[in-house]
Amino acid sequence: MLFMKPESPDRQLIALLDRVAQADEPALRELYELTSSKLYGVAIRVVTNREWAEDVLQEAFFNIWRIAGDYKATLSPPMAWMALVVRSRGLDFLRRRASDRADLMQELDDVISDTVAGDSPNPMDTTQASEQAWALHQCLGRLEHKQREVVSLAYLRDLSHGELAEQLKLPLGTVKTWIRRGLEQLRGCMARFA
Amino acid sequence: MNIQNNPSLMDQLAASYALGTLRGGARRRFETLARDNATLRAAALVWQSRLSSVAELQPQEAPSPVVWQRIENLVRADKEARAMQAARVAPGAVGWWSSLGLWRGGAAAGALATVVAVVVGLNVNGRLSGQVSELTAKLTATPEIEYVAVLTDDKASASLLVTFDPKNKTLVLKRVGNFREPPDKSLELWALPPGAGAAAKSLGVMGADSVARLNVADTDMRRVPALAITLEPKGGVPPGTAATGPLLFKGALIETPK
Repeated sequence: MLFMKPESPDRQLIALLDRVAQADEPALRELYELTSSKLYGVAIRVVTNREWAEDVLQEAFFNIWRIAGDYKATLSPPMAWMALVVRSRGLDFLRRRASDRADLMQELDDVISDTVAGDSPNPMDTTQASEQAWALHQCLGRLEHKQREVVSLAYLRDLSHGELAEQLKLPLGTVKTWIRRGLEQLRGCMARFA
Repeated sequence: MNIQNNPSLMDQLAASYALGTLRGGARRRFETLARDNATLRAAALVWQSRLSSVAELQPQEAPSPVVWQRIENLVRADKEARAMQAARVAPGAVGWWSSLGLWRGGAAAGALATVVAVVVGLNVNGRLSGQVSELTAKLTATPEIEYVAVLTDDKASASLLVTFDPKNKTLVLKRVGNFREPPDKSLELWALPPGAGAAAKSLGVMGADSVARLNVADTDMRRVPALAITLEPKGGVPPGTAATGPLLFKGALIETPK
């Protein structure tokens, strides 16, 4: 056949991860070019600071270089897997910093309040996202903005109800209700994509 | 309450478990139940997989080109270290760093240097990590600085920060650890050779101050894989001779973005 069907982003990324697992440096470069903007976005959301996010992205990619072989054992879409590597490096980074600095929470506090206060209609970006992410995007899109933010932040920053309430300056009951309703609505919606 | 007869509650708990908001005793009870109950376990896995896509949906932003350069440095160092490990024969009776023969084996020295580079890259200790970020920030702000090294002891604690300014042909050494040499000794800085068959070159001797500035030609710095500090008699070894004392600190020389 003369014309090849363009590869799905997932398949292209999986092929690259495969090559990275064989210590193929150009493949890592290609992977970086395709995913770094997305993953840097994740890092910024987790650590809330661009400079820290660069450190996190660097650590995450070096980590991906070393553990790309593990990807095969997972059933996640490749972008979701890489985003989880970034999230987990980001959470490590925050824990390291938190032990250094007591005022971290104050900083986070301010940034998160800003994030949630800004009621932008739909900040999500589905470029390079997997089909699974697309489904989640559709379902999250049906939540109210604030509910969506609270669910996303709880997940991305690994925060408890209490921590969310404190940082967002919302009553604990409100946070609990938003999360419960958010998850309930997601549940109904995601079931249709299963 | 027996949640096993309540599918909707089971799913709700699985969702909170995956989201991370189920905490403390409730989380532990959920985990205990899930070990015995395949439905619950499956529900938790489904939710973990669904929520993992939250990370995919965040707004994009292009990182600074510096980040790739840093990753590339780490990856190259890692590749060399792996290659050396594969090629390495069983180490003999000669102590690695006390033997100067090693320094003439540029490849082996490179391997150790890269191990150090990897350690630096992994930011194994918070303090080192802070110093590396600080240096990186400084470097971005000061384009004249072209090379940097963090020299560490055998426990990967940073002891000296080294920057090279090619415009002024100055190497700046800054003590950051607690190490103080005895009064009758000096710390001598060596550039490890870029290839096999060459000897380490002395770059100068540090005084007792916490900062030292050494004048070096930029040709001395080019293609140097790593820097090392040995403990020498006061004032250093005679020019042109090899190191005599033990190796104290070492670290990869990292080229910084221009």
